[in-house]
Amino acid sequence: MKAQGAFLPDIVAFCCAQSAYQAADAAGSMGITYPENIRVIRVPCAGRVDVLHILRAFEKGADGVLVLGCHEEACRHLSGNIRAKNRVQRVNTLLQEVGIDGERVEMFTLAPNQGPRFARIVNEVNERIKELGPSPVKSRA
Amino acid sequence: MDKDLRLGVFLCDCGGTLSKATDFSAIKAKLQKFSDVTYVSISHDLCLKKAQKAMQKDIKDNGINRVVVAACSPELHEKDFMNVIKAAGVNSHLLSMANIREQCFWAHPDKDKATKKAMAQIGMAINRARFLEPVEQAQISVNRDVLVIGGGITGIQAAIELSNLNLKTTLIEKEATLGGKLNQFANLYPVQVTPEELLATKLKQVAERQDIDVLTSAELVDVSGEVGNFAARIKRGNEESVRNCGAIIFATGYNTEFSSQICGFELSNNIITQSQLEGKLKASSEVKQIPESVCLITNISNEHSQVSLLSALRNALGIKEKFGGEVCVLCQNLKVDGAGLEKLYRDCRNKGVLFIKFDNSPRISEQDGKVKIEVEDVLVSGEQLTLLCNLLVVEETSVPPLDSQTLSSTLSVGLDAQGFYQEKNIHLYPTASNREGIFFAGNCHADLDLMQALTEASNVALSAYQLLAQEKMTVEAEKVMIDPDKCRFCLTCIRACPHHAIREAGVNHEKMVAQIVDLACQGCGICAAVCPAKAIKPKDWSDDQILAEFELLGEYV
Repeated sequence: MKAQGAFLPDIVAFCCAQSAYQAADAAGSMGITYPENIRVIRVPCAGRVDVLHILRAFEKGADGVLVLGCHEEACRHLSGNIRAKNRVQRVNTLLQEVGIDGERVEMFTLAPNQGPRFARIVNEVNERIKELGPSPVKSRA
Repeated sequence: MDKDLRLGVFLCDCGGTLSKATDFSAIKAKLQKFSDVTYVSISHDLCLKKAQKAMQKDIKDNGINRVVVAACSPELHEKDFMNVIKAAGVNSHLLSMANIREQCFWAHPDKDKATKKAMAQIGMAINRARFLEPVEQAQISVNRDVLVIGGGITGIQAAIELSNLNLKTTLIEKEATLGGKLNQFANLYPVQVTPEELLATKLKQVAERQDIDVLTSAELVDVSGEVGNFAARIKRGNEESVRNCGAIIFATGYNTEFSSQICGFELSNNIITQSQLEGKLKASSEVKQIPESVCLITNISNEHSQVSLLSALRNALGIKEKFGGEVCVLCQNLKVDGAGLEKLYRDCRNKGVLFIKFDNSPRISEQDGKVKIEVEDVLVSGEQLTLLCNLLVVEETSVPPLDSQTLSSTLSVGLDAQGFYQEKNIHLYPTASNREGIFFAGNCHADLDLMQALTEASNVALSAYQLLAQEKMTVEAEKVMIDPDKCRFCLTCIRACPHHAIREAGVNHEKMVAQIVDLACQGCGICAAVCPAKAIKPKDWSDDQILAEFELLGEYV
C-alpha cells in the first residue's frame, strides 16, 4: 500500500472511441498534461459500458471511475451516451446503498477535439477523489 | 482463454523521440519475464513499410499468435497493423494496442511517472490480448439496385448520378409527375436558369437512361430486410409490387405551411403565402389585377431558414420583373449565409426593392381593400412607419412531408425534433441514417438551397456506390455473437439496437432467438451491455477483454 500522505488515486476512464478517446489523444498531441494515474479503457461507444464493468473496476481497486462519451444528440449510435448516463446514475445509487461515495463514478461528455476539456475533467476528478480518500473497497482488500 | 498463447510485443519509440523519455530496453527486459510473451522487439518506425516487413517476419519466425503493439494512438495506425498481421498469417483482430505516445509520453513530462504508466498500459494491452478472438471475413452477395424515394430535383439528380455509376435505380414519386417543388417555383434565383429549363434537361437525361425506372403515383408502404437485400413494397393505385434493392435513398423533400400562430394574423385575399405568390408569378399573364405595391415579410419568429429567406428574395425580384411597382421586404434578420445570397440581396436592392428591419413584429390590419402595416424601423432610429400595400406576402415554415412519421416508424429511421429525418451524425455522416444502407438527401433532413441539394444528391449516390460497388460485400462475420443457448428471446437487444441490426431467428425449429445481421451491425456493443442474460459477445470488445484491462489496477508491472 502507498503511504497515506502521497495518496494517488487509481482512476479508470472508459472512453468512447468516437470522442473521448480522441480527446485524450488530442490532449497529448497538444502537450497538455494531466494526472498520470488515469487508466484509459477504449470502448466502441459509451453505451458499451455496463454496470458490471464499473462495479468490477471498483472491486479491482479503482478509487474512481469515469465514463466519457459524446455530447448529447451527437452519439454515432443514437442513444449510447444517454444509456451510459443512466447506467452511471444507477451505479451511483448502488454505491451509495453499500456505503461508498456515489461521487466516485461520474459521466462527462466531450467532443474529439476537446483535449483541454479532457485534461480539465481528469484534473478535477483526480482532486475530488484525492479529497475523498482511497476507496473503502480497496482498503479492505 | 487460449491455452497456447504466444504473445509478441512490438515497442515503437517513434523515430527515437520516445527513447528520450524512457529506457526501452528496461521495459523490454521486464516484459520478457511474462511466461506467455514469446517475443519482444523495439522498433523506431513501426508505421513504415520496412519495419512492418520485419514485424511480419518476426511474427512468422516466432510463431506469434497474439500481437501487442505499444506505439502511437490506435486511431492512427490500428488499421495498418491489422493488415500487417493479417499478411503475416495472424487474424487481423488478434491485435491489442497500447497508446504510449499520445496518452503517455506526450501527456506526462515526468519521465519516471510516464515510464510507470507506459508499463501499466502495456500490461493492460497484454492482458487484453490474452482474451482476443479471431473474426473471419465473409462474402455476402448483394442486390446492386437502388431505390430512390421522391421524384423532386434531389431524387432525379440522385438517380442520374447512380446511373452514371452503373447502378440500376427505381425512382418512385407519389404525385403523377416528376419535379416536386420545381413545378411550383416561378424562378430559381440566384441560379440563372428557369425551373422549367432545369427540369426539362434533367427529365430528358432520365428518359435517356435505360437503367432508371420511374414509377409515378407510387408510394412506399413497407421495407423489410437489411442493407444489400432490402425488399420494398410499393403501392401504385390498387396494385402492390415488391422491389428488391441494396440501398434506399430518401429524397422526400419538404412541405410548407402557414402558421397564424407564429405570424399573429390570418390569411385573406390580400394576405397570401409565398407559395400562393409563386402560383401568381408562374401564371403572371393570367393575373387580372396587378398589385401596385407588395410587401413581403420574412423571419418573423427570428428563426433563420435558408429556404424561406431564399423564397422571399427570389419572389421580391420576381415581382419587380413581372409586375413592377413597389416592393418592400420586411425582415427581422437577413442572413445572407448561402452561396449567391449576397448577390441576390444586392440585385434586389439595385432593382429598387426596399428592405425594412424590425425588432417587434409589425401590426397588420386591413383597411379599404388594402393591407395596413405598422412597423418600427430599427435602422432609422425606431421611426414608426405605416405602410399601405395591395398585397402582403408572408413566409411559410418548412414542415416535413406528411408520410415521414409513418415511414420513420416502419423503417426504424430516426426523426429530429421537428419531424425531419435525423442523420447518423451531422458532422461525420451527414447523409447516412442510423440504418446501414438507408440514406437521406435534400430537404427531407436539412434546410438546403438548390445547389446544396444537388451536391448532396451526388454525394449520396457515391455513398450508395461505395456500399454496392461490388456484387459481393465483404463483412466481418459474427463480429458480435449471440449465444443461442443463453438467449431467452426477451427482445431487449432488438429494441435497443440503434441500427436495426438484430432480427429474430429460429433455432432447430424449437425456439426463437435474437440474431445479429452482420451487414447492418456497426459494432457499438450496446446490445451486449443491455442483454440481461449476457448472451451477446462483441468479439472485439467482450466483457472478458474489458475486465482484463483493469485486472492489474494499482500494481505496476
